[in-house]
Amino acid sequence: MSDHGDHPAAAPSHGPITRLGELPAHSAAEAHGAGHAAEDAGHDGHGAGDGHGGIGKYLLVFLALCALTTMSFFTYSSLWPWKNEPHVGWAFMMAVSCTKALLVVLFFMHVFWEANWKYVLTIPAAMMAIFLALMLVPDVGLRTRMVAQEREIHMARPSDVRLLEQAGEAQLLSDPAGAH
Amino acid sequence: MNATASAIPHDDHHDHGGAHDSHGDHGHHGPVLQYQPGLPLTRGKLIMWLFLSTEIMFFAALLGSYVVLRFGAPVWPKPHHVHLSEPIGAFNTFVLICSSVTIVLALEAAKANKQSLAKLWMVLTLVLGVLFLGVKGYEYSAKFSHGIYPWSPRSRVFEKPDLYYGSAVRARLGEPEIIDRLKALDETAETELSAEQVSARRRLQQVRQMVVSPDQQPFDLAVIADQVMPLPTEAAAGEHGGHAMGLNDIFPWLKLPAVIPGGTMWASTYFLLTGFHAIHVLVGLIVFAILLMYRLGPKRAGMIENAGLYWHFVDLVWIFLFPLLYLF
Repeated sequence: MSDHGDHPAAAPSHGPITRLGELPAHSAAEAHGAGHAAEDAGHDGHGAGDGHGGIGKYLLVFLALCALTTMSFFTYSSLWPWKNEPHVGWAFMMAVSCTKALLVVLFFMHVFWEANWKYVLTIPAAMMAIFLALMLVPDVGLRTRMVAQEREIHMARPSDVRLLEQAGEAQLLSDPAGAH
Repeated sequence: MNATASAIPHDDHHDHGGAHDSHGDHGHHGPVLQYQPGLPLTRGKLIMWLFLSTEIMFFAALLGSYVVLRFGAPVWPKPHHVHLSEPIGAFNTFVLICSSVTIVLALEAAKANKQSLAKLWMVLTLVLGVLFLGVKGYEYSAKFSHGIYPWSPRSRVFEKPDLYYGSAVRARLGEPEIIDRLKALDETAETELSAEQVSARRRLQQVRQMVVSPDQQPFDLAVIADQVMPLPTEAAAGEHGGHAMGLNDIFPWLKLPAVIPGGTMWASTYFLLTGFHAIHVLVGLIVFAILLMYRLGPKRAGMIENAGLYWHFVDLVWIFLFPLLYLF
């Protein structure tokens, strides 16, 4: 977006590392992908900036997002065929969520049209995020297998759920008119 | 890095032109020496993206711990056990998606110098954000009314129907305020009560006897817990919107401790995740309110874009939170 306003003449005004200089964004090494924004900047600054975006595209993305939300909500409805296999639903919902996230990032956040700087920020952040989550596995996940005695006293087990369910069933038999 | 100037052969990137062939006349200035700033974006946007990448890690840590805790836990409550309503969650998802669209439209309008239109979209974004928070607040109050709090002195959730639970019920029934109300309830004529209340009163009397009974069996505690707040079964959940009527529902003043297996850990993660997300929404709303004080013309497009980037990120987090919290 604002890239389109970046005339080379205005370059010194934007960015802390201006003076260090840099390969032009569309040099051979990094030209693949989507270096257009920077090119636009070199060419005509503003005029062609409306080449991307456009209200029609945004509405299309919006409709896609709504459809995807309905799809993940569909797992909750009674029509969902894999009621007894929750993993199917989870995988499906995560796929839907990732698609939605991708749509938002690419189009609403304009990353699709950005220059190659986007990889500089997003790839390390994504890797850090994944490592972060992975590092939690031994820290937190194993704690529920090896619990403190105090916690063990109070924590629920599947047997407690069964007990409650049995209580519910028993109550249905004895309850309403039973006392009278 | 050194100031590197390189000759740019302009023809080597034709393969990616795709949607952008409108500026296909690259060839005309041939190889030139061209200096570019380190990252071809404005300072504000660079800072916003750096901030967002830290935010990605922040929420990745939260979501990661949630997933690890959720799948590591021996028991995790079903959404109905903790009174979560999937349609409400889906509605909130829809609200946030709409607000993402309106902020993008505000940016487009500002760039086209349609200031009043930009303002309209911005106001709409603000309204949608407030609506989201309002729905969230309603959901929170529903949790609170069922005794589900993230911290322990207020929380009335117990993990299992054990002796600790039994003594907590006994303690609650022994509170002076409750003793008075129970007495009043006992003395109320049956004609003044609905059939449901009459039945509930009878069951409450049984519970009061069971909880102080000297020959109390472990199963009795499960029966008490079921009476206070039954765990909806899969079938009942579909029929009654997940809301089975326990003593706590019929006599809201009772506020008896309830058993939700896995409920305490669930409450901690739910309130932490949605709470941090709600704080982010609130910050976004403050930013929008500040932006509304300016003329939203092309001059402010950068600011609107940065606010929008942040807002889309908030939307993004919810896109993952909704299925993880409501549908898993």
